[in-house]
Amino acid sequence: MNKSKANSALIPLVAFVLSVILSALIMLISGYNPITAFTVIMKGAFGSFTSFSNTLIQATPLIFTGLAYMIAKKTTMINLGVEGDFYIGALAGALVGMQDWGLPMVVHIFLVMVASIVAGGLAGLFIGWLKVRFGSNEVITTTMTNFILINFTSYLVNYPLKAEGSIAQTEKMVDSALLPKLFSKGQLTAAFFIAVVVAIFIYVLLEKTKTGFKIKAVGLNMKASETAGIRTGRIMLFAMFVSGAVAGLAGAVQVMSVNKRFVAGFSSGYGYSGIAVAALANDSAIGIIFSGIIFGALKNGANYLNMTSRIPTEFVSVIQALVVLLVSAPILIERIIGRKGKKKEAKKCC
Amino acid sequence: MLLGILSSSISLSIPLVLAALGGVFSVRGGIMALGLESMMLFGSFTAVLGSYLSGSAFIGVLSGILGGLIIGMLHGLFCIRYKMNQVISGIGLNLLATATTTLLMQIVWNNKGSSPSVSAVSIRLSFLKNVPVLGDIFSKQSILFVIALIVAIGGWFLLFKTHFGLCLRMVGENPKAASSVGIPVHKMKYIGVAICGCLAGLGGAYLSIDSLDMFVREMSAGRGYIAVAIAILSRYNPVHVLLFGLLFGFCEALQIYLQGYGVPSQLIQMIPYMVTLFVLMFGVQNIKPPAGVGKHEDD
Repeated sequence: MNKSKANSALIPLVAFVLSVILSALIMLISGYNPITAFTVIMKGAFGSFTSFSNTLIQATPLIFTGLAYMIAKKTTMINLGVEGDFYIGALAGALVGMQDWGLPMVVHIFLVMVASIVAGGLAGLFIGWLKVRFGSNEVITTTMTNFILINFTSYLVNYPLKAEGSIAQTEKMVDSALLPKLFSKGQLTAAFFIAVVVAIFIYVLLEKTKTGFKIKAVGLNMKASETAGIRTGRIMLFAMFVSGAVAGLAGAVQVMSVNKRFVAGFSSGYGYSGIAVAALANDSAIGIIFSGIIFGALKNGANYLNMTSRIPTEFVSVIQALVVLLVSAPILIERIIGRKGKKKEAKKCC
Repeated sequence: MLLGILSSSISLSIPLVLAALGGVFSVRGGIMALGLESMMLFGSFTAVLGSYLSGSAFIGVLSGILGGLIIGMLHGLFCIRYKMNQVISGIGLNLLATATTTLLMQIVWNNKGSSPSVSAVSIRLSFLKNVPVLGDIFSKQSILFVIALIVAIGGWFLLFKTHFGLCLRMVGENPKAASSVGIPVHKMKYIGVAICGCLAGLGGAYLSIDSLDMFVREMSAGRGYIAVAIAILSRYNPVHVLLFGLLFGFCEALQIYLQGYGVPSQLIQMIPYMVTLFVLMFGVQNIKPPAGVGKHEDD
């Protein structure tokens, strides 16, 4: 038990280090000095109070999307729809946030969140329904719904919901729907702490409740769970609803703290980054907070690097993709670090 | 006009057909083809890179095939040798291809959005120009249209009429049984994903240096996933791929046609994705992949 736990933390770590080394090699080949680059990244990510708060701002949507991807994956669903749910949640949140109802801030922010949770949750539920009812492969359906949602939200803010001006965006949200800045320096809002609270909520849901137990049981062995009387379809639908809701909430929190309105095509692939965040955390809710910060730091540092040099920020996406691949290939990692992985005795069934 | 739509349906279906044919070979060998998107995208990129460096469109097409092959073999390596979850491998490769092509674009051309124009495939079936009806439909098609036809029919023959095809299908259905009668399971699976990579890479090359003459960021735009849906709908039969490929090509052609009528482009661009979604809902319920997909011979 202990060993397997140590292993489960080690593999993502080794995978991460390997990915960084590989991306450093890419930089080296393309004529950049990786050591200088990573020094600048560290400085940009942690160098001052403002830069650290920027890291946390970058980490916030990643923690959300990591959680959203992870909770669906616990029931074996690969929810790539996180990206689309992020959009629809952001738009729903921005629409509620635009209305000047004269509400107190707490109420208005609460309403914005509810709107995004419902919008994202329903989108997630739809994918779950397609899977449970028709057996449609969720990887393909979510890819399709992502394109549909991104195009549809873009249509809405290009035509019926467009604000004055040339940019495709909604009107600015009113002040009572915006998360206030916490410190005089930097732009950090309560958004990061909302993400942490959601992570703890997901942790409690998975580890301390009956529903969480069922979710994990379905993921480990669908047939056995069914035999044990768990309604697997319902559990999958529930997990997909939560997944979509968390992703939708991510969108709303993003517009409440960073963009202050919905802008067409405003996500820089946050939904897909969530896959890497969850992989690095080995699908642990609390771990996702930390892996979110790690990737947030990389992203923020890379932005800083991009201002001072010509190194493209995309190599962060390369690192993310490599993490996703390497974490899922434990046999490869074990071979690389030279550990002779004890071959599991082939269990013979029947 | 009807003939015009039919003509562009065919030319828009070529990349889908090529990639879906690749998917058929991969799945018949027991490897899921969710990485098609990455093979197409990378193929598009390497095709432009090859054409840019050599100045020859032919070299470009070859390097497109090579690019697809590289990703295909990576997918094979992950799934066969390192027994990775095939879905995750496909998704990871898709992320990797998106990231690396954007990164390389900046490194090579110092531009995030698109590459410069390069020499493109210019061979068209123009000898049909003066034939009535046929000329309207086929005279503007690329030579790759003929290649796609040959691959589809040849692929059907290879899969269902030859010893090799029988072995490949057996590996896909039941790797354990295939292994016990002496079929080299790993080798067959690698051949399956290699064919898949080459064809998807060729489809990608068609996107970048045949229908266009440059690489545009994320230009495959979900076509790899649509190709997976086509492969499923065709029940993994290469000849049926032609038919369903044409259906999805028609959706894309309709999109271009409707743009001339003032319908907002964002709504029109949703059409192919909507159709795929509906097809996945209602069209493929009873279609099962080969029984051995995702299994290893030593399970």
